[in-house]
Amino acid sequence: MLKGTMAYFKGLKTTAKYLFKKPVTVEYPEVKRPVRERFRGRHELKRFANGLERCIGCSLCAAACPADAIYVVPGQNDPAKPRSAGERHAAVYEINMLRCIFCGYCEDACPTNAIVLEHQYELAFYDRRASIYTQDMLLVPVDKGHGEVPPVLQQTGKQLNPPAQIDL
Amino acid sequence: MPDMVTLTIDGQTVSVPKGTLVVEAARQVENLIPVFCYHPKMAPVGMCRMCVVKVGTPKMDPATRQPVVDADGKSVIAMMPRLQTACTTPVSEGMVVVTQDSEVEHAQRGVLEALLTSHPLDCPVCDKGGECPLQNLTMGWGPGKTRFDYNDKVHFEKPVPLGDLIYLDRERCILCARCVRFQDEIAGDPVLGFYNRGRAWHIISQSDPEFDSKFSGNTTDICPVGALTSADFRFKARVWELQPIPTVCNHCSVGCNMTFDTRSNDIKRVMPRENDAVNEIWLCDRGRFGHHFNTSKQRLTTPLVRKAGKLQEATWEEALSIVAQQLDGIRSTTGGKAIGGLAGTSLANEDLYAFQRFFRETLGSANIDHRSGSALDLPLDDAGAQYGIRSGTDLSTLGKGTVVLVFGADPEEEAPVHLLRIRGINTRGGSVITLNGRPTKLDSIAKHALRYKYGSESAILAALLKPLLDSTPADGKRATLRGFNDLVAALKGFNLDEQASGISADKLNTVAELINSAENLVIFYGRDALTAGASVPAGLANLLVMTRKAGATNSGLISLLKGANARGALDLGVRPDRGPNYAALSNAGLDAKQMLSAAREGKLKALYVAGVDPVGDNPAAAESLKKLGLLVVQELFLTETAKLADVVLPVLSVAEREGTYTNAERRVQRFRQAIRPTINARPDWQILQALANQLVSEAVLSAAGGDKSRKQTRREEDKARVRSEWTYASPAEILMDIQANVAGYKGVSYASLQGPTGQWGRQANENYYFDGTSYQNTGGLGVQLPAAVETSSIQTLQPFSVSTPASVADRPWTLVGATFLYDDGALLTDTDLLNNRKAKAVVALNPVDADKLGVKNGERVTVSSGRGSLSLPVHRTKLAPEGVVVVPVGVNNVGLVSVVEGGATPVAIRREA
Repeated sequence: MLKGTMAYFKGLKTTAKYLFKKPVTVEYPEVKRPVRERFRGRHELKRFANGLERCIGCSLCAAACPADAIYVVPGQNDPAKPRSAGERHAAVYEINMLRCIFCGYCEDACPTNAIVLEHQYELAFYDRRASIYTQDMLLVPVDKGHGEVPPVLQQTGKQLNPPAQIDL
Repeated sequence: MPDMVTLTIDGQTVSVPKGTLVVEAARQVENLIPVFCYHPKMAPVGMCRMCVVKVGTPKMDPATRQPVVDADGKSVIAMMPRLQTACTTPVSEGMVVVTQDSEVEHAQRGVLEALLTSHPLDCPVCDKGGECPLQNLTMGWGPGKTRFDYNDKVHFEKPVPLGDLIYLDRERCILCARCVRFQDEIAGDPVLGFYNRGRAWHIISQSDPEFDSKFSGNTTDICPVGALTSADFRFKARVWELQPIPTVCNHCSVGCNMTFDTRSNDIKRVMPRENDAVNEIWLCDRGRFGHHFNTSKQRLTTPLVRKAGKLQEATWEEALSIVAQQLDGIRSTTGGKAIGGLAGTSLANEDLYAFQRFFRETLGSANIDHRSGSALDLPLDDAGAQYGIRSGTDLSTLGKGTVVLVFGADPEEEAPVHLLRIRGINTRGGSVITLNGRPTKLDSIAKHALRYKYGSESAILAALLKPLLDSTPADGKRATLRGFNDLVAALKGFNLDEQASGISADKLNTVAELINSAENLVIFYGRDALTAGASVPAGLANLLVMTRKAGATNSGLISLLKGANARGALDLGVRPDRGPNYAALSNAGLDAKQMLSAAREGKLKALYVAGVDPVGDNPAAAESLKKLGLLVVQELFLTETAKLADVVLPVLSVAEREGTYTNAERRVQRFRQAIRPTINARPDWQILQALANQLVSEAVLSAAGGDKSRKQTRREEDKARVRSEWTYASPAEILMDIQANVAGYKGVSYASLQGPTGQWGRQANENYYFDGTSYQNTGGLGVQLPAAVETSSIQTLQPFSVSTPASVADRPWTLVGATFLYDDGALLTDTDLLNNRKAKAVVALNPVDADKLGVKNGERVTVSSGRGSLSLPVHRTKLAPEGVVVVPVGVNNVGLVSVVEGGATPVAIRREA
């Protein structure tokens, strides 16, 4: 009998100990717990500092994707109004978040560091169609770009030698 | 064999024919020697130095000229002091080759390191990425690091367009000259060249318009890097995402093997499939870029039925029952003879067979044709099948001893890939003779390039036949030639009028001798020959018979008919006078022209048109078609004819369905469904099957009226006529039916068409260095049908007579309608890339003639014949010989059809004020 009562207090002691400590739980969704720097959440398509899209539509992310979650249709840049640096851009860029396993292989494959798995993890949908994130949803705002365009993407329209003048 | 050479490659002994290059010999022992500039279809140049190997030969004693032997009795090998290029070194007896050792590897790494110093490494945006030999070889043989400064790369403006079709990226170019050599050696359009030197060395186009060649797309295939890319496929998809579906080109009678590379139910590009017997690994630009009609927005998407004078959308059930009821009504009142049918040459064999069965069996009508009834129609050509090139002939292997006679044809415009094959025969040591009324590109390589005057074709052939006739011994040999005496009679007293024919008799005697002494004789003939009268194909067939080449190995006629499946239409009896397999019919029906005139007179009540555009070809035909009680059009597009139709039935295109085509060399080849149809259309054979079955069903009979017992007897009659209901589930089943009922197609089934797939001695992993430069054929090589003459022991000479055209005093000029590759045909719908290359609506006139008339370029002239006249601007060009005016066929707003009288037409030309 006494032994039983003692056990009761022993349990309460643990309760009493945590009563005055800061709780581990957070009031999600009002409060969000910060994630690790290398957390792999929802993708973002980055831009260069000048606002041009980093994505050049090379489809290497789609090729690397083990879940076949990425769909890219490339397009040719209008030289007067380029969307991305270089000749090529992604005309369609879609990620199916239901298929994505957040492995980050797309990041590894990307030659221009355009696709980055960021810290957003709230990915729930009312229907399957909504799980397909389009380019507009994935692109960061124009003023949120970073970095300079590398020389390899700056060769469009560049002329080192005068064009050939052949008298036929 | 005496001409075999034995050598040792990496310790393995191999025997190869004399003259083989080391790089080819190494393929036989499956030791890959990496290459960039070398290509098996072209002469080696040794420009890239990638294929360097160690080579040694047995040491010879200079005094005795005997191999030096060591103590063990083995001959001493003297290694060459430096590495040799395997692609330019022919094998020799006792040679020792080392392809893999540290010295070779060091050299190959160095070559790749040097090549990559100027390569931009923009693989992620390069269309070649994924099938790029430079990528592959860098992975396999390249250094891991470069010692050169990345920022010191040479830069050029990128990309520069070479014409409308090709983009050149000079940074990526490794200067292997494959494209330059292809244009020089294979295509015969030397329009590309090198410019400048050192690091500024690059490729330029030397022609105006830029890259003026009908084969320019092939350079993008053979380019080992992404320097030449096609404008059509520019940034369309990555190559590893594409699904290649084997198909057959439906633009001309060559029947090139190719693939539709698809992604997301869309055709992204067209690539050749290697088939040495048809197109080797090449395609012409029309075939490569002209796929956009398949996915055109202008396609018919749903059946249309004329209600209240307007074509309105309808369901298939509604449209088919209207057609069935009306056809049944006409059939029961006037019989089948009041119904006519036209089925075009772009329909598959299965459709054509179903079409003629539908008409002959279900409707009881013999009025069927595959032509449109215009004055520009080609006559029915039987010689091409009877005396056709022997089955099993592979033009890509012919060379020495082969004579190619091109008579009245311009292969470059009529069947471009045949031009490459004729050039190939010439390169391998064969002789080419061109006998044409006007200059063609082949003249430049021809041993004899002879120009006849239009109208003298049969006289020329008579002059070629006469010496052969005279030299045929009088003994028993003549007895095996049926019709020999008739031919002797036809040529009795014939003397060539050199003035009128334009060629001297001596020249023709030389040609006749050359033809007679040839080992193989291949005769090509095209539009000019076909329209010059029945004696011309007959005379060409007689040439074969008289030179003992009829049915002989590697010999025969190749008829360059218009349309992908013109030969299939003839074989399967889509013609009024003969049934399938050229079977004679007891009573012939009306041909297309007669159908139109019968319609005008009200004798023809209904016309069923599938894949033909009589009004588009000849606007005057509209008059006749308006008088019809029922006009049904089965089409891809709303053509001029379809606009007049009562019912329009949309069909699926070549990319959306299965079927087979028979090409000019009578090879039956299969195409497959590449994309899922997104429109409410059906394949031609299904529509015909639905109609055939509906025509005997109760519903139609009750709608036709009459008492019950009569209905019952009619139903019995119909049943007897159609034998049984059509139950084809797929085109494969129709082909089985064709195989069973058409003797010539024996042994042709979807299984046999799948056929052998090996070509070019291809080995496993060989894609590694020919990646992107050739495409393995996994879809089957097709089956070549035997020519009729192969199977008969007695050879028949065709009836032949020499005709002399009556000259018309007031019409001194000759008008010729010429086929051009890029015309205004429906198959180039939405292929905007080729718009600038399309034939212009002009009259081509020799400058001498133009001066006589006093007309400058662009000034209009009126050309009038006995039938009518046309008015067009003048284009002064030497491509029209003196006295001849050339006007394009199949080009809009020309009006040629109302002027031309069969073939070459005497006309008067007047300068317009």
